[in-house]
Amino acid sequence: MSRNVKEALVYLIPSIILFLVFFYWPLIQNIYLSFFSWNMVSPTMKYVGFKNFADILSSPELIKIMINTVLFIGFMLILIFVLPYFYSYILGHLIKKWNNFYRSALFLPATLSLAVASILFLWIYNPLAGPINIILSAFDITSPRWFKENYLVIFAICTIIGWKFFGYNLIIMLAAMVAVPKEMIEAAKLENASNWVIFKKIILPMTSSTAIYVFTITVVFSLQHVLVPVNMLTQGGPDQGSSNLVYIVYQYGFTFFQTGKAAAYAVITMFVYMAFLYVKNKYLEKKVYYEN
Amino acid sequence: MKTETRQELIWHVFLVVAIFLTLWPIVFMISTSLKDLNQVFESTLNPLPWPVTFDNYTTVLGNFPLFTYIWNTFFIAAMVTISKTVTSVMAAFAFVYYDFKYKESIFNGMLLTFFIPITVLIMPNYLMMAKLGLLNTPWGVMLPCLVDGMGVFLMRQTMRSVPKALLEAAVLDGAKPRQVLTKVIMPLIKPALLANSILFFINSWNEYFWPLLILQDKDTYTLPLALQMFISAEGGSEWGIAMAVATLTSLPPLILYGFCQKFIINTFMNSGVKG
Repeated sequence: MSRNVKEALVYLIPSIILFLVFFYWPLIQNIYLSFFSWNMVSPTMKYVGFKNFADILSSPELIKIMINTVLFIGFMLILIFVLPYFYSYILGHLIKKWNNFYRSALFLPATLSLAVASILFLWIYNPLAGPINIILSAFDITSPRWFKENYLVIFAICTIIGWKFFGYNLIIMLAAMVAVPKEMIEAAKLENASNWVIFKKIILPMTSSTAIYVFTITVVFSLQHVLVPVNMLTQGGPDQGSSNLVYIVYQYGFTFFQTGKAAAYAVITMFVYMAFLYVKNKYLEKKVYYEN
Repeated sequence: MKTETRQELIWHVFLVVAIFLTLWPIVFMISTSLKDLNQVFESTLNPLPWPVTFDNYTTVLGNFPLFTYIWNTFFIAAMVTISKTVTSVMAAFAFVYYDFKYKESIFNGMLLTFFIPITVLIMPNYLMMAKLGLLNTPWGVMLPCLVDGMGVFLMRQTMRSVPKALLEAAVLDGAKPRQVLTKVIMPLIKPALLANSILFFINSWNEYFWPLLILQDKDTYTLPLALQMFISAEGGSEWGIAMAVATLTSLPPLILYGFCQKFIINTFMNSGVKG
């Protein structure tokens, strides 16, 4: 290891500058914007102190937004955290054949654009002529208007994200699964431990650090992925039924042109994220087993 | 032994169901794009269009500046890929080869940007691009996407796998740091490097949200943005055409994945490992 700091800086400077200018500076600027009332184009910005925050915290809209946010994250955790966890166990330890085929195929949607996924599922969920409607009508069920009903819209959008990211999270989890020594599992099997017991007693503790990583990226990124289908298919509707803590920033900033309020929402988002990461580091990481 | 194979069969059934749900939408997208209007509505579920028609594709080519969209998307993705690769490799090399004060803090500062919610960044970055006069240009899309916190992390992970002794031997032979990077490290990590670049390319190619803010002029659209037009304007009846554009948008990522899936999957399997 060389200790020539000047030389090291040469390699680091491009990244450091870009990170500061396009990530850290906007972070500060965003906080600054949240204290003003502004429409993004007018030459004058009016300082309003904490009024934007007070407005948000006292509006009934915030409750709806938070409920939606929790629902989105809840569905996503089931679809792209819990399910891939079990599937990675199957893929890593319970089958012997075709592993490579399965994982290549399951990862495939992760390479496609969310814009593609959105338009594709708009057609699949089409309540008049779409394939799901055809299948449902074979059982004499009338298809609901998936993107027009409260709560159902959140579920439908989550399936789009779930379709794209299931394989992605599966692969990350699989890496941790295959790192669990086969001998340990063989030994447990010799003592007649069931798959469920093996999962609970060996797999769960030994893969927990990766599981927490996937849990974290699911919570943090779900809402950001949701932006694409929400904007393409519902624009936050019906009646803000699919809006959430992240989309609302875009709505206020770029469709209602209330920059200050949008920035205030973004600051709140940031604090929620920071609180989440703090709680996660403080309470979850403690229970984790690290090999080194 | 018998019960074990039977049990395994059940797991295979689970997997086949997942595979079906995963692949069917893609098959459906491609097959719909090859159907004429009648088939789209008459034999919706039939995955094999007959007769196969390329009408949807020719209609799109005739009515939309498709090659412009393809070029716009490609140009942005290529520039972003080159820049992200270069900056990630350089930064990762500094972290692996040099020892300096605050090294871990700087590294964590870079990795942390990966977790900053995009909506916190969009307004200030948009205003910056507006001030620079870069709205409706590919440069405005690219500029905030020239570095990647995750990229630095993954490259560092990969470079750590190169044995220290090899680097020391090169230095003893009189290699300069730049040569250590280009002559020793890079050849050894070529597969991971390639996979990383491909992922940068695919992600940028697929990006919808940030370009949406910067590119309002239809001539500057990228493919994912162009897809939006087939939702609102066509009123939802031209599914064959919409699926044709969706298929074209998906083709480059699918081809790249087809060729390099092993490297890509390996890279992802490394990304969850704690450093």
